Amino acid sequence: MNRTLPGPAAGLRRTLASWLAAPEADTRRAALPTIMVFLLPALLVYAGLTAYPVVRTFYNSFFEVADIASSDFVGWNNYVAVLRDDTFWAAVRNTAIWSVVGPVLDVVVGLLLALCLYAGVRFGRFLRVAWFTPVLLSYVVVGIMWVWIYNYDWGVVNVALRALGLEGLAQAWLGDPRFALGSLIVTHAWKWAGFNMVVCLAALHSLPSEVLEAAELDNCGWWHKLRHIIVPMLWPTLLNLYILAFIGKMKVFDLVWIMTEGGPVWSTETVSTYVYKRAFNWNTFDLGYPSAIAVVWFFVVVGFVILFNVLFRSRERMEF
Amino acid sequence: MNLPSTAAGGRIRTLAALALTGLALLSAGPAGAAQQTITMWSHWPDEASKRNFIEDRVKEFEAATPECKVNLQFVQKADLYASVKTSVRTGQAPDIFWLEPDEIGFAKSGYLEPLDNYIDLDNLEDWAKRSWTWNGKVYAMPQEAYSVELYYNRDLLKKLGVELPANAQFTQAQFADLVRKSAAAGITPLAQGVADRPYPGAYFLEEVLLRKLGTDDYGKLLTGKLSFKDPRVIETMTWVRQMVDGGLYPKSMATLKLGESHYYFHTNPGALMFPIASWYTGRAFVPPEQGGQPRDFPLGLMNFPVMDGSKCPECKTLAVGGSYVMYSRGKKKDCAGKMLKSLATVENGNKWMEAVLLQTGVKTDPSRIQGIHAAYFKELQQRSAGAKFFIGTPLHYMSGKCGDTFAQVLNRAFPGGFLSVEQAAEQMDAACKAPS
Repeated sequence: MNRTLPGPAAGLRRTLASWLAAPEADTRRAALPTIMVFLLPALLVYAGLTAYPVVRTFYNSFFEVADIASSDFVGWNNYVAVLRDDTFWAAVRNTAIWSVVGPVLDVVVGLLLALCLYAGVRFGRFLRVAWFTPVLLSYVVVGIMWVWIYNYDWGVVNVALRALGLEGLAQAWLGDPRFALGSLIVTHAWKWAGFNMVVCLAALHSLPSEVLEAAELDNCGWWHKLRHIIVPMLWPTLLNLYILAFIGKMKVFDLVWIMTEGGPVWSTETVSTYVYKRAFNWNTFDLGYPSAIAVVWFFVVVGFVILFNVLFRSRERMEF
Repeated sequence: MNLPSTAAGGRIRTLAALALTGLALLSAGPAGAAQQTITMWSHWPDEASKRNFIEDRVKEFEAATPECKVNLQFVQKADLYASVKTSVRTGQAPDIFWLEPDEIGFAKSGYLEPLDNYIDLDNLEDWAKRSWTWNGKVYAMPQEAYSVELYYNRDLLKKLGVELPANAQFTQAQFADLVRKSAAAGITPLAQGVADRPYPGAYFLEEVLLRKLGTDDYGKLLTGKLSFKDPRVIETMTWVRQMVDGGLYPKSMATLKLGESHYYFHTNPGALMFPIASWYTGRAFVPPEQGGQPRDFPLGLMNFPVMDGSKCPECKTLAVGGSYVMYSRGKKKDCAGKMLKSLATVENGNKWMEAVLLQTGVKTDPSRIQGIHAAYFKELQQRSAGAKFFIGTPLHYMSGKCGDTFAQVLNRAFPGGFLSVEQAAEQMDAACKAPS
């Protein structure tokens, strides 16, 4: 007896059956319901904790949101106001400086430390642990520690300068708008140099020894070996580290908040600290304006990620 | 099957006991359900006298009101603000929480319950009520009040060979000379720390400005109706800037926190003067091992100096500080209201002053203050005798961009010597000046 239903119902049934049944040709593939059982918890968590907040932020940016229950549609007004906001542009400038300069410092210091260890410096094991330790510290600890280090009266930087007879160079490092951002960049580099060191060291150890040995046989000096062999061969790794650091610094918040709260006179304000201030620190309740800043910055960060991909995809294999 | 009689009897007794217990629980049920636990968040986790005062009042309230229990938590101000600003939006804020009057925006946004029907408003000072009034309703129980004072170290003043005038107020020239002598002797003239607060760096400037302009024009300045480029304002800022250049503040001011600035003043390295609100006592009048001032510290109070041609030498700032508010969407307003009502009594106002040695927005009888700090409180009262008060600090009037600019410019950069008078005035006007 032919049980197949005629017409469209039969087609629908066949389609559903093809979705729900595992294809016999490939036994590794599970049926859709089985896949969903495994995927659903993660998807729900992702949707609830990542996708929804992002979508909601986009939505909020078109409203003046004083309350979760009531908001007024303002169209593009928040975006227009953001583009006319001097403090926003100061924050953009500071974040841009940090994102461009900071990663160079991070990567160069990390590479130098890795080269020290690779060259077999004495107490190498101890130094590897010591240099990596800051990576394990939280930003809160690092921030408080460096506020003390930079203290004008008794901080180690100024004490050292005075001991060397350089009293004139002692500064209020975090209080002076000319030095505050640079001081934060140095602190951030100190924290992350160890991470870059470990990655560079792993890359150094994976370099083909025959190339380096051939260079030594050709009487290639240390500097030339570094410049013409090691750095070019490490280039993809260094580039990846730079881009990772760049993206991280576009979002920097913790260290700034602990050490300077964006001051003095917005000289260390970053986009993230400004968003937080507008959302939670000003005695206003509007969440729409900070959402607009967050959306603008989201597109800036995504834009840079795409740009880096386009620039380097053909030449280097990006792994971020 | 028959059970032995003893076993049967035991089982009957057990059943009877269970039945009785059940009955007891049932009868206790309605009373248990009637008891409500309210949540109360307060600042002052590290200010023992204020914390003890609140804890004691809560215990008394719970004893007197068995149907209400209070889950009291002390949270640092910054964390408290960050939490309540998020939770009020989602209906999850505590029933009672701590705020200062610069956060009147909570009331304007409808997050606070008016207290007119919950507490006896006659027990509150009129000026304190005004600080928390919006649309004719009072929105907070003004527990803490303060005046802005200029504390000093008597021994250091004597060491510099300077005598405090009889009215405890230096003239412009006398004060500038005092600052010069202090800096020359290697003593920081004014202790101050602004790392974790948006206002203390401006205390000195704003008090001198208040005296120079008088209450009306000073009020206009804070509300954007008077320009910071007004010649009197520029003259005052120029004088302060000259002293800043002469070493008025610690160089480490930007990284000193409020608590650390207290320690800087009274212990290490020690400063001659400390412009701070009268809640100085909250941190200073605790044992030295807990960060308080040394037991024999020669604390004195002087009036802020008065510039030549000042309109109101007797003016000074009086403000409401930490206050308790009720969340408008709280489910237990009855208990929350009773708790706030229990705080707002003259008797508790007196207890606050006795225990904390600080003013309050609740009516009080200062003559009752006794104990080892009675002399201090007497001097505090002397400094306010005959004063003409301006109610509120700048941040009670400034909000948004203007408040942020005040915090960055007048609180940090100007006293730090990083902005000229013209730059500071320009930035303040750009952010605060009301459209004409």
